[in-house]
Amino acid sequence: MQPPQSPAAAERPALTLERVSRRYGDTVALDGLGLTVPAGEIVGFVGANGAGKTTAMRIALGILAADEGRVLWNGAPASRDLQRTFGYMPEERGLYPKMRVADHLRYLAALHGVDDAAARAATDRWIDTLGLADRAGDSIEALSLGNQQRVQLAAALVHDPDVLILDEPFSGLDPIGTDVMSAVLRERADAGAAVVFSSHQLDLVERLCDRVAIVDAGRLVAAGTTEELRAARAGIRLRVEVDGRAPGDWAGRLPGVAVVGGDDGAVIVELADGVDDQAVLDAARAAGPVRSFAPVRPSLAELFREVVGR
Amino acid sequence: MTRGPTRTVARRELAERLRQRAFKLSTAAIVGVVAAIAILAGVLGGDGGAQRYTLAVDGAEATAIAAAAERTQEAFDIELDVSRADGPAAARAGVADGDYDAALTRTGLTVEDDPPDELVQALAAATDRVRAAAALRGAGLSAAEARSALDPDPLRVTTLEPGDDEGGSYGIALVASILLYGQLIVVGLAVAQGVVEEKASRVVEILLSTIPARPLLTGKVIGIGILGIGQLLLAGVVGLAAGAASGALSLDGSAVGALAVALLWFTFGYGVYASLYAIAGVVVSRQEDLSASSTPLTLLLVAAYLVVFPALDAPDSTLATVASLVPFSSPIVMPALVALGEASAVEIALSLAILVASTAVLLVVAGRIYERLVLRMGSPVRFSEAFRLARR
Repeated sequence: MQPPQSPAAAERPALTLERVSRRYGDTVALDGLGLTVPAGEIVGFVGANGAGKTTAMRIALGILAADEGRVLWNGAPASRDLQRTFGYMPEERGLYPKMRVADHLRYLAALHGVDDAAARAATDRWIDTLGLADRAGDSIEALSLGNQQRVQLAAALVHDPDVLILDEPFSGLDPIGTDVMSAVLRERADAGAAVVFSSHQLDLVERLCDRVAIVDAGRLVAAGTTEELRAARAGIRLRVEVDGRAPGDWAGRLPGVAVVGGDDGAVIVELADGVDDQAVLDAARAAGPVRSFAPVRPSLAELFREVVGR
Repeated sequence: MTRGPTRTVARRELAERLRQRAFKLSTAAIVGVVAAIAILAGVLGGDGGAQRYTLAVDGAEATAIAAAAERTQEAFDIELDVSRADGPAAARAGVADGDYDAALTRTGLTVEDDPPDELVQALAAATDRVRAAAALRGAGLSAAEARSALDPDPLRVTTLEPGDDEGGSYGIALVASILLYGQLIVVGLAVAQGVVEEKASRVVEILLSTIPARPLLTGKVIGIGILGIGQLLLAGVVGLAAGAASGALSLDGSAVGALAVALLWFTFGYGVYASLYAIAGVVVSRQEDLSASSTPLTLLLVAAYLVVFPALDAPDSTLATVASLVPFSSPIVMPALVALGEASAVEIALSLAILVASTAVLLVVAGRIYERLVLRMGSPVRFSEAFRLARR
């Protein structure tokens, strides 16, 4: 019997940045960055301020030229015309302040070449979905910041793009806005769009994203599902609590075992490759009664700190 | 691919600006001011140039008299519109029906009531000449001899101070130059502010992820230009109509021609200044920096406007000729000279050719600068740096 075939990410269309570099004067913003966003998935783009996230997104959209490297869609270089079909939510939010919400969304749809009837329908649909129905005739500047952000999301979506690139879409959103944004991104990905967004809210990224890409100083330093990132780290970590023993004094002597931390009378050890965790358990039991023995599942935030070394 | 977005952008400019109160107010203001000037000129100026009379003629002598009167009509400050009637009765009936102001037949001049002095004098003088010529030919002189006896060299009149016997066209020239100057500043600043608005509000980043930079600028320039030309056309038509109604000017070919020339030069002058103001807009990122970058252009327009006065007083001067050819002043100066009737066909054609060529070059330069700077935020870029970027 053949194993059930899972839809491999490689077989679906994907947006790919291939060894992209960009300098601003003497500053290196991107240094051979690679990034893949498969259709139907949400990729969280994570990195410290100045790591190059915004530059990478602008290059993906074609509004900034790369010094080196290519932007690919489905394996072939993406044309400017194709890049102009991507939906974009820039970090610096911006809409015409005096334009009315519905007029503005219809205008952006028309710029994307959507015909008038379809532009109207899409505008109405997104205004409805995002809870803006009673503000459709108001000017943008009359809206609260949260509502402006919803219009900004609608602006990225109104032409039904296959690729959605959002720069810090969650910043400044209240919890309800965050839920609405999360639901919309998931719905778009399930509908087949390739979605990538940057964020500093790593718990949110861990919860929402299918994959995570970590960028540091213009380079991709880790990428994959959160599980893959956990698996890829240096070694397995265990949290061991032994009754009555000062943390660490039994573990530090074991070969291939390093004490990396501790809390509440427990010790956290990291096992080098090939070290048997049962041997560690035996050593712990020899030291005293073991109250707790469990693998540590690092959060994305912890993984991030380890990977970027800060 | 580019036509679609350009049209969409232009349409947005039109729709959004037409919706704004400021636009409605400025249209009302410009039309109101022009109409007020035209009406005041009629009320204060009184003499509204040549008075127009329709004249029905019947018979060979009457036709000859009417023709003779037409040759001297300017001296009597009248304008004759002569039609041949179908017999004397029909001619007189036409007067009774109000179709004609007067009828000239074998029996003499027929008018409704209270015959206008200048008309009667003009026709009486013409009658004298026609009948005298007939008498001289009857006495044996040849036609040429009779003509030379009746049309000796006229008295030469030299005017030391050119007065405004051309009051109507001088007025049109002044009002046209004021309108063109004001309108170029208003629409130029609208372009600059529109460019800065998109940069300052950051909407430009979304727009440029959707369409190229060129159609964004082109559409904006076209949209604002259509509104500016429309306002000017409206003001011109209202001004001419009000002037004609008040008697300040007569609605002849030269007035309409002056309006057409003003609109044509405005269209291309707008191209020149819209390009420059677009550059003034794109080199800054905030509205507060715009006044510094646009002031040189506004001063250029003020200078062009101030040249109009000496140019109209001395249309043959070097100053007038140069100002009517240089593309930064010709949109204001040349229409004024044309309205005054003081530009030759060659000068007019040369002025337009230079203006059109400058527009074409500047639109390209502005487009290149715009493309390179529209996403650059921060402190203002110097003009010299901007033009250097356009060359690369």
